[in-house]
Amino acid sequence: MNRRSKDIVASKLMLLATIFSSLVIFIMAFALFQRSSPILGTQSLSELFLTSSWHPTKGEFGFYPFVIGTLSVTGLAMILAIPICLLSAIYLAEYAPGKVRGIVKPLIDLLSGIPSVVYGLWGVLLVVPLIRHYVAPFAGATTTGYSVLAGGIVLAIMVFPIIISVSEEVFRTVPFEVREASFALGATKWETVKHVVVRKALPGFLAAIILGFSRAFGETMAVLMVMGNVAKAPSSLFDPAYSLPALIANNYGEMMSIPLYDSALLLAALILLLVIAFFSILARVVLIRVERRSV
Amino acid sequence: MNRKFVAIAAVVIIIASVVTYNYFTSPEEQTSTITVSGAWALYPMMVKWAEEFQKIHPKVRIEVSAGGAGKGMADALAGLVDIGMVSREIYPAEIEKGAFWVSVVKDAVVPTVNKYNPVYEDILAKGVKRSAFLGIYVYGNITTWGQVVGRPEITDEIDVYTRSDSCGAGETWAKYLGKKQEDLKGVGVYGDPGLAEAVKNDPLGIGYNNINYAYDAKTGKPIEGIVIAPLDLNENGQVDKNEDFYRTRDQIIEAISKGSYPSPPARELNLVTKGKFTAAAKEFVNWILTDGQKYALETGYLPLSEERRAEELKKLEG
Repeated sequence: MNRRSKDIVASKLMLLATIFSSLVIFIMAFALFQRSSPILGTQSLSELFLTSSWHPTKGEFGFYPFVIGTLSVTGLAMILAIPICLLSAIYLAEYAPGKVRGIVKPLIDLLSGIPSVVYGLWGVLLVVPLIRHYVAPFAGATTTGYSVLAGGIVLAIMVFPIIISVSEEVFRTVPFEVREASFALGATKWETVKHVVVRKALPGFLAAIILGFSRAFGETMAVLMVMGNVAKAPSSLFDPAYSLPALIANNYGEMMSIPLYDSALLLAALILLLVIAFFSILARVVLIRVERRSV
Repeated sequence: MNRKFVAIAAVVIIIASVVTYNYFTSPEEQTSTITVSGAWALYPMMVKWAEEFQKIHPKVRIEVSAGGAGKGMADALAGLVDIGMVSREIYPAEIEKGAFWVSVVKDAVVPTVNKYNPVYEDILAKGVKRSAFLGIYVYGNITTWGQVVGRPEITDEIDVYTRSDSCGAGETWAKYLGKKQEDLKGVGVYGDPGLAEAVKNDPLGIGYNNINYAYDAKTGKPIEGIVIAPLDLNENGQVDKNEDFYRTRDQIIEAISKGSYPSPPARELNLVTKGKFTAAAKEFVNWILTDGQKYALETGYLPLSEERRAEELKKLEG
């Protein structure tokens, strides 16, 4: 093969590989849509998502409790994670000496490598009893400990690495000249950080949060083990709840045994896929624009 | 560049040949594999059977994994495993999809409470009526331990635990109450061991387990921290001599075989496959129904009666 044909072959192969990996998500979405059409045919979307009765053997598939459960635990995780991640990212980007950053960053990235089921076990062993014996009595409630709060705490820790590392990168892209200008005007370091750096980096930070949100939204094993899996929309932080991914993981065994159940679970899977795809694309678009601006 | 390419290619070829070695050896040297997955209830028994069977058939490899009866059924119907372990009865919808099953041993689901329960002694002395379980698990009108034992001054709330995964234990316990697993209220915990842990860690907890997760395999007594709640079968408000068989695993197995412990929550455990058992899997199941039965008692299960065994063998062959 002469050099020119090698060139063409190599580029076409890479194109094929790229097309294949980008097509996968469309193939998945299409397959899920096909398999969930039976249940979409029998009930309207509003019926499915606004009714709260989940009794598959009677043909009742109300997803409302699971949607609320997923949104509550993910929302709580974000509320817990955002302040800590913002402050950590600022410290790592602006204040930390190089050596400290060199140790802390890998340590935080280590958190993202820990398997979900390990987080779940740790949650069951530590977080659930903590909530049952200390937090709930302190707040005047009684609970078994398996609750939205437990899920929120475990999820918040799981999304630390992604939010902190993306935010830290974003803060580093703020050009030094901007900081210098602020110092020249007599601002202190904190004033600079607060009014200049964070302001400029805000879109990127939002993107980091969105990425963290997607990760938390789809998290299965850890949430399944600490949330209590009760198919009723939670009315307080100490109530147990049931998330969409946990629903799928717990019940895919019954799929074959009850009519329409497989269709319902695959619809849940399709919803998860679409929500996460949407948020990931949104975050990517924002990040690209941030990078473009800083060039 | 060329040398590196040759070196990498050589490594890839070596690894590939090691991995696919099995597929190229002649039939006599080839090992056959039987894959088994499903109910936690059957898992200890299946592991023992696999051990013993592989001792006399060294060319057969048996891989066993748990995950719940629902998973076993789903895997078997999808053709992902040769044998699915299902610790409940098979439903018509599953038979329509091609499920074929044989029963192999019997065991039971027992209700569990924590050793440090405030009314621990009352429960052991009076037992718990079926209607009380219905009130706790299904209707939700029994919420305090005082209500369970008839001492209204005790207002400690009951922490109800059930199984979150689709499993035989849940279905069987629900069947005893005349309902389905999805009707059982309570915090859903994953897996048999998970439920036992949850009750062990909560003095006000109530749960249910297959006997091999409620009792310690070595000592034969209930596992540390857990007490089996006796069923008040004749509903007379106390645990009579003939209702008192929960102290050791052997006692409860005897009670199951005599019928003193009702079925449900005692039930036969089944192995399912899609269509029919064939080849190595068929041989294995045949062995389970003949020589394999002798390992049941020592592992904590009840072997099938002679007639049931003959029935199931006929089903397997026929």
